Amino acid sequence: MSFYAIVSAAMPQLLYGARLTILFSIAAIIMATILGLIFALFKLSPFSVLRKIGEVYVHIFRGLPLLVEIFYIYFALPMVLPMHKWFDPYFAPVAGAIALALNEGAYITEIVRAGILSVDRGQTEAALSIGMNGFQTMRFIVLPQAFKRMIPPLVNQFIQTIKDTSLLSAISLSELTRQGQIVISTTFASLQIWTAVAVIYLAVILSLTALSSYMERRFQIDQR
Amino acid sequence: MISVKNISKHFGRHQVLKDISLEIAPREVVVIIGPSGSGKSTFLRCLNGLEVVTEGRIVINGVEITHSKTNLSLVRKEVGMVFQRFNLFQHLSVMENITIGPRQVLKMSKVEAEQRAQALLEKVGLKEKAYSYPDQLSGGQQQRVAIARALAMNPIVMLFDEPTSALDPEMVGEVLAVMKDLAREGMTMAVVTHEMGFAREVGDRVLFMDEGCILEEGAPGQLFNNPREERTRLFLSKIL
Ligand SMILES: Nc1ncnc2c1ncn2[C@@H]1O[C@H](COP(=O)(O)OP(=O)(O)O)[C@@H](O)[C@H]1O
Ligand SMILES: [Mg+2]
Repeated sequence: MSFYAIVSAAMPQLLYGARLTILFSIAAIIMATILGLIFALFKLSPFSVLRKIGEVYVHIFRGLPLLVEIFYIYFALPMVLPMHKWFDPYFAPVAGAIALALNEGAYITEIVRAGILSVDRGQTEAALSIGMNGFQTMRFIVLPQAFKRMIPPLVNQFIQTIKDTSLLSAISLSELTRQGQIVISTTFASLQIWTAVAVIYLAVILSLTALSSYMERRFQIDQR
Repeated sequence: MISVKNISKHFGRHQVLKDISLEIAPREVVVIIGPSGSGKSTFLRCLNGLEVVTEGRIVINGVEITHSKTNLSLVRKEVGMVFQRFNLFQHLSVMENITIGPRQVLKMSKVEAEQRAQALLEKVGLKEKAYSYPDQLSGGQQQRVAIARALAMNPIVMLFDEPTSALDPEMVGEVLAVMKDLAREGMTMAVVTHEMGFAREVGDRVLFMDEGCILEEGAPGQLFNNPREERTRLFLSKIL
């Protein structure tokens, strides 16, 4: 069979996997961004308890291999917490997405924190001095300026997240990498299928990069 | 209007303000001078709660801002502050810089906030800059916008922390002119500045701060021409 014939026969399965890869990426990126924002604010909070919680979170989830985190949440936690019953029959995807989000969220925490700290303290003081409360100051003055500077490192992290979804194959979630393995197990066409898988990953990641440079340009012009 | 009773401020072990008391009457313009590091900025920042005093009481318009239950945001919207380095919101246009306070804090409608902003821009002579961004303005223009931003909240007191000392000399006059107008309109003001002309022209009282204390105070003419304290004399001889 020709290269083309093998790949096009496998394409429906691979695209199914690509769809899941994208869905897991989106879910993890959204959750990780929310976690990152919350824990970054914790780490910058005046309350030492919150700061400590933020630090512990980052240390644990940035300190462990992602694969171990996935296994821990999927295999180990259900031994003490019947999570697999709560989410039955979707426990695998839920555990996978949570593990990814917690891990990427730890990196995003540091990105957001650095972004917020990069905004001059005078901006906060000026906002407070016109009567804004802490929330309004963050929302209208600090975060918009921090966000612009956070775009490049965030995009890096989002790319990392997309690549990391391939580890979900280890708990048999049929994302792109797993689908590749399945196809190969019946066709034995390693070279052709892994090439196709690689091309699909690159296509997904390059479209994210294109989107982000568009956003960066837009923010530079409209929002400054 | 402002009543300061025996305030002290420490940064760790370092005592920056030492038992300061001061009354500022409505419509009064108080000018604060003193060597660098004497605590002038810290004192002003205590007056709007940007720094928390370690001892003493500050009452502004009947509200004790040093009370732990006081909502500082409510106090700050009545106390305008102008900073040495302008601190305009870099990501917002001039118009947005001025309207964001009224809209978010006073919950004013966009139309009303923008009308008032226009009027304020006219007052500070920057009508045509409403849709510029801070980094497109000169220092003097930025500082005038910063004054308009503070005035947009309709404050009862304005605090100025060396508003002209980050400016090129040719821009000092335009900012002082706006401040003099304000003083003549009856705004209550506390101004840290070494602009003696300003102090003589509109200042009611001059305070000389040294090492965290108000060492001497008096009418501008008296304090500049006949200072009682040797330290004041020495300081004046350096800056005049
Ligand atoms: N946030 C701070 N932390 C520690 N020390 C400070 C802080 N702000 C000011 N100081 C110290 O307080 C003293 C008075 O500072 P400041 O009020 O800025 O003086 P001035 O405005 O008269 O030059 C200085 O010795 C300065 O180093
Ligand atoms: Mg100062």
